[in-house]
Amino acid sequence: MRLPNYLRLSLLSAVAAAMLAPANAQTQAYKPPRTADGKPNLNGIWQAMNTANWDLEGHSAQAGQVVALGATGAEPPGIGVVEGGEIPYLPAAAQKKQENYANRLKLDPEVKCYLPGVPRATYMPYPFQIVQSGKFILISYEYDGAVRTIYMDKPGEAPVDSWMGWSAGHWEGDTLVVDVTGLNDMTWFDRAGDFHSDALHVVERYTLAAPNVLNYEATIEDPQVFSKPWKISMPLYKHMEKNAQLLEFKCVEFVEDLIYGHLRKQPSK
Amino acid sequence: MGTCANNRASSSGWGPNTCRLLLLLLPAQVVFGQAARDLEGIWSNATITPLERPADLAGKQTFTAEEAAAYEKQAVERSNVDHRSANAEADVASAYNQFWYDRGTKAVGTRRTSLIVDPTDGRLPPLTPEALKRVQDTRAWIEQHSTDGPEGRTLGERCILWATAGPPMLPGPYNNNFQIFETRDQVVILNEMIHDARVIPLDGSPHLPSNIRQLMGDSRGHWEGNTLVVDTTNFSGKYSVRGSDANLHLIERFTRVSPDTLLYEFTVDDPTAFTKPWTAQIPVTRTKGPIFEYACHEGNYAMTDILAGARAAEGKNPK
Amino acid sequence: MRYSLAIAIAGVSLLVSAAPAWAHHAFAAEFDSNKPVKLHGVVTKMEWINPHAWIHIDVKNADGTVTSWMVEGGSPNTLLRNGFTKASLPVGTEIVVDGYQAKDASNKMNGRDITLPDGRKLFVGSAGQGAAPDEKQDK
Repeated sequence: MRLPNYLRLSLLSAVAAAMLAPANAQTQAYKPPRTADGKPNLNGIWQAMNTANWDLEGHSAQAGQVVALGATGAEPPGIGVVEGGEIPYLPAAAQKKQENYANRLKLDPEVKCYLPGVPRATYMPYPFQIVQSGKFILISYEYDGAVRTIYMDKPGEAPVDSWMGWSAGHWEGDTLVVDVTGLNDMTWFDRAGDFHSDALHVVERYTLAAPNVLNYEATIEDPQVFSKPWKISMPLYKHMEKNAQLLEFKCVEFVEDLIYGHLRKQPSK
Repeated sequence: MGTCANNRASSSGWGPNTCRLLLLLLPAQVVFGQAARDLEGIWSNATITPLERPADLAGKQTFTAEEAAAYEKQAVERSNVDHRSANAEADVASAYNQFWYDRGTKAVGTRRTSLIVDPTDGRLPPLTPEALKRVQDTRAWIEQHSTDGPEGRTLGERCILWATAGPPMLPGPYNNNFQIFETRDQVVILNEMIHDARVIPLDGSPHLPSNIRQLMGDSRGHWEGNTLVVDTTNFSGKYSVRGSDANLHLIERFTRVSPDTLLYEFTVDDPTAFTKPWTAQIPVTRTKGPIFEYACHEGNYAMTDILAGARAAEGKNPK
Repeated sequence: MRYSLAIAIAGVSLLVSAAPAWAHHAFAAEFDSNKPVKLHGVVTKMEWINPHAWIHIDVKNADGTVTSWMVEGGSPNTLLRNGFTKASLPVGTEIVVDGYQAKDASNKMNGRDITLPDGRKLFVGSAGQGAAPDEKQDK
């Protein structure tokens, strides 16, 4: 039997609405839980799950630098986190990157347990903790106890350069935007020799995308090294173990032989 | 609200039982008042009062106001390194100008002659025989080997840990600063020297398993009235507090006693090292910041120079 | 036994150094009290780093040659809190450095006493007071 027109029309619009609804839900931003002062709650222990620390650009697996480590020292593959695929080095800088890569065992600051800088700290293979408290956001990294304070109230210019930079934060909607200046030129972006000068300027964006997923983007600008700004992006995942906590990885002790061994009374090298 | 005063303060207010009853019915913040528990800010524990009562002040628990002022003046004078020593070795050890230092200039407000309040003689209790032997053996070893390699130097010179961070947090010659952050679930203490953020969970979770040992131990906290009580265990023993070992059980208490001061108290409980526990109190004052980065290991030319100097004295040239 | 002794050593070395005088005996191990040095030089660079700041100077010798020296200071963090910045000791500033030479006989010394040529101390008070003469007074 044929439905009356008015009923058919209602039915048709109901079906149409139902078909449109899922698409609508997908374009709606995730509404995150909030802190007491109404900001998205970024508190928690987070970690990247990729091989960006080995090489920001896409890379196949390859043998490691230390034969005795076998497969445990080999480089795992990665699709890469650089938007556009390649880091846009200026010609002279591209040459330096190749030299860095060839000598990475000697030159990578991570080997010597040096502070990782920004953005590398974010994707080191160790967890980090965001402590969000109103006027400040503190990020504490398990790797070498690296820390940085994000000042939410216009801290002015960095008085000196530092390894972890000078971070000024503000909210744009539900995204934490962190402007990082005052970085020294001694960190690398990864183990593959990707480097920068002390003119480095990084802008990070942290956005909660789903329960326990934090989308991370960093725009990197350094006119002394790159022909234009470039961007990396990756999800960060929350540690869900009930007893999740940062542990001590004070690696300075582990590299004393490496750095000072030749100066020992009984040389170890 | 906030009439359930901290028992320690013992001012007017409802008694502990009333407060306990209220705590069953209302959130702690309502009963005690949020403001009194606000430990946030940048703080310094610099003071000229020594940890132990000096021998020449034995029996004297507190100074009079005049004595304290004189003592402060004397201490500031004595520690002013712009006065150079006629003795070259002492002069080298004073290192550099006074403008680099940031020691305390004031004695503690209570005018006690030591930071140690228990034992009441203001001195460390005796070490156990085993601990004494360990300390003596170590001292002897260091005398022989202090420039043989990095292990002969202090943890501070090795850029591993300074006593300003501890825990416990002890006053030092500069960078006595720490910043406290509070969230719903934890209190975090960021020590300037050497850049360490100690996360103290407040969720009642247990300590780490006993086979995991850390230089700074493992801290857990809870509120007792307006006092944050922090319990730390799981020490590796590599950092020794005046002779403590891996069995150290450290209890720290933080209480805000005025808008710009905290009372920091800690108890060292380590029966295999000390014959009895000891407790010290250090007043902590709000200080202008900010906390600057103290990246130590990355710039540690001094370690290279110390070892190279020792090798040069032996006629070697390994550089 | 060796392992636990090593642990005890590492720990108690802090015990020994935490003596009430807070003597910077690291400097006694690094610099030679038998080799006092006094230099008048020109700042070429200042490294505002920890654990010690380093001031690089060029010293003109009697024969016209120039020797570069590195002068060790303290932690710069106190200075930064007093308003000084990396611009506070400009390249070209003349300073007088009185100290002791490194034990390995390299051109390094501790800046036991650093002054401007007219005797004024560096970095006293907050920025703008007693600092290098051509520092901008904009703090």
